[in-house]
Amino acid sequence: MATRTAFRPLVRAARPQLQSAQVHRCFTSTSQRAESPSQSTNHERTTHFGFETVAEAEKEARVAGVFSNVAASYDTMNDFMSLGIHRLWKDHFVRSINPGSSSTSPSPGWTMLDIAGGTGDIAFRLLDHCTNINNSPQSTITISDINPSMLSEGKKRSLATSYANSPRINWLVANAENLETIESDSIDLYTVAFGIRNFTNKEKALREAYRVLKPGGVFACLEFSGVTNPLFDAVYKRWSFGAIPLIGQLVAGDRASYQYLVESIEKFPKQEEFRDMIKEAGFVVPGKGWEDLTGGIAAIHKGIKPAGTP
Amino acid sequence: MAAPSTILRRLRPISARGNLLARTYHSYDHPPPPGPFSTTESTILSASLPHIPSHGFTLTSLSLGAKDAGYIDASTNLFPQGPFALVHYHLLTQRLGLAQKKEVLEADEGIGAKVKKLTWERLMGNKEIVHRWQEALALMAQPSNVPTSLKELAAQSDEIWFLSGDISVDTSWYTKRASLSTIYAATELFMTTDKSPDYIDTREFLDRRFKDVQFVGGVVGSVSQWVGFTASAGLNVLRSKGVRV
Ligand SMILES: C[S@@+](CC[C@H](N)C(=O)[O-])C[C@H]1O[C@@H](n2cnc3c(N)ncnc32)[C@H](O)[C@@H]1O
Repeated sequence: MATRTAFRPLVRAARPQLQSAQVHRCFTSTSQRAESPSQSTNHERTTHFGFETVAEAEKEARVAGVFSNVAASYDTMNDFMSLGIHRLWKDHFVRSINPGSSSTSPSPGWTMLDIAGGTGDIAFRLLDHCTNINNSPQSTITISDINPSMLSEGKKRSLATSYANSPRINWLVANAENLETIESDSIDLYTVAFGIRNFTNKEKALREAYRVLKPGGVFACLEFSGVTNPLFDAVYKRWSFGAIPLIGQLVAGDRASYQYLVESIEKFPKQEEFRDMIKEAGFVVPGKGWEDLTGGIAAIHKGIKPAGTP
Repeated sequence: MAAPSTILRRLRPISARGNLLARTYHSYDHPPPPGPFSTTESTILSASLPHIPSHGFTLTSLSLGAKDAGYIDASTNLFPQGPFALVHYHLLTQRLGLAQKKEVLEADEGIGAKVKKLTWERLMGNKEIVHRWQEALALMAQPSNVPTSLKELAAQSDEIWFLSGDISVDTSWYTKRASLSTIYAATELFMTTDKSPDYIDTREFLDRRFKDVQFVGGVVGSVSQWVGFTASAGLNVLRSKGVRV
């Protein structure tokens, strides 16, 4: 029932885009290069690209390709994968973090970093919450993404918000695995939403998150996860593996990219495992370490960098 | 104490058993337990307690405690349950503190007298924050917090009976626990409005409640009575907060 209601408006939205499939295909030139036969040799490090195993360097190129392909229609993709409710998850994610909160008034403001921030979706919500709920217009955010075309999409969208050209936003093209331009111990809140599963070396990204956070700072991640009810899982898998790549083909003329998105979600470590990776990086986790959303289709993981340890 | 606890471990229901193990481990020779809170959480929570008298059971107290412990505002993300963590921590530390009341425990008195004294000691554990306790009650009455709150209340009654030397294993155990919980919850609520010096009014209220039920030997109170009371007390608190129920 839920799938059907989520599906209907999307299919309608998809139709006009059919004509533009041609345009999207032009975009794919980047990934065409990436998808050329792998030249990986035995001593190269490999990683997952969906269910394929590819050399690490190649994955980076391929991921960039996928998101160039789907930059314009990626909201549609999120709608498909989340049965239309990723916006609610994002709202809940931000509310649960309560950014900008402070024991002193006026709030000195949080220094935030939104990684894989693509279109600014999370960042605008974080700033809204700081300003409207916690009366903290001093809070600032750096929106970072590996893909410059995702960031320009975000800049474009920011013009339609109250943060158009705001000094509170700073844009940064960077790989989450190497944030060298960001000082150690300088960030109150590090967020990553629907991004980390695309990282080639997740452990390295977690170590970087740990490094840039202040002692006591928070790592917060929103990501597709493992559906906990086996029956629902079976239904959801049929939907995601069966229907989504097909829809991707219809919407964007790009089956391969959508196939990757679906597979990368399936490959991403399940709740407990990811929680343990977060602990491994040095964080302490609240409670059991995560919160399931909509039966585990997505989950929020958090970690706090302990104070008083180097 | 060792002998009764062995008997109890064998005979008491499972749920009580876990509790008892925790108790024998923690209450006597060992430092405070990990309990439901990690070391980091305990550090922040214990630093927050001194802020409760002036800032209440609120996020502000939690934030101030975090800062005192070398953390930052954002670190309150460690507590998904929010300010209820402060309530829970208070209940837990007060309960575990009962085992330290040596003057009461080592006195040469009967079980009944010890139960009364420990109950009074526990009530006095709320002295510093009693003007904020209605906030705590409102948090405890929130549906997601009710199970933890009730569990703590029951565990506290167990603790008091156990420390007083009660080793009964028959069904009266349940009614004793329920009756003590009823008395405690009622008196605690009474105390939030008591302005008399040294809480003599609360003291008398408590004595009357104990007279209502003759504990030792007799089967008294009932679970349903207690549940009914808790529900109506909760409603009254909510009403006092301006909630229309
Ligand atoms: C599905 S989008 C999520 C966008 C946004 N956070 C949201 O929730 O709407 C995933 C983003 O991750 C970015 N990304 C992939 N690999 C990355 C990496 N190694 N470092 C930084 N960003 C990366 C992609 O460019 C893309 O913009």
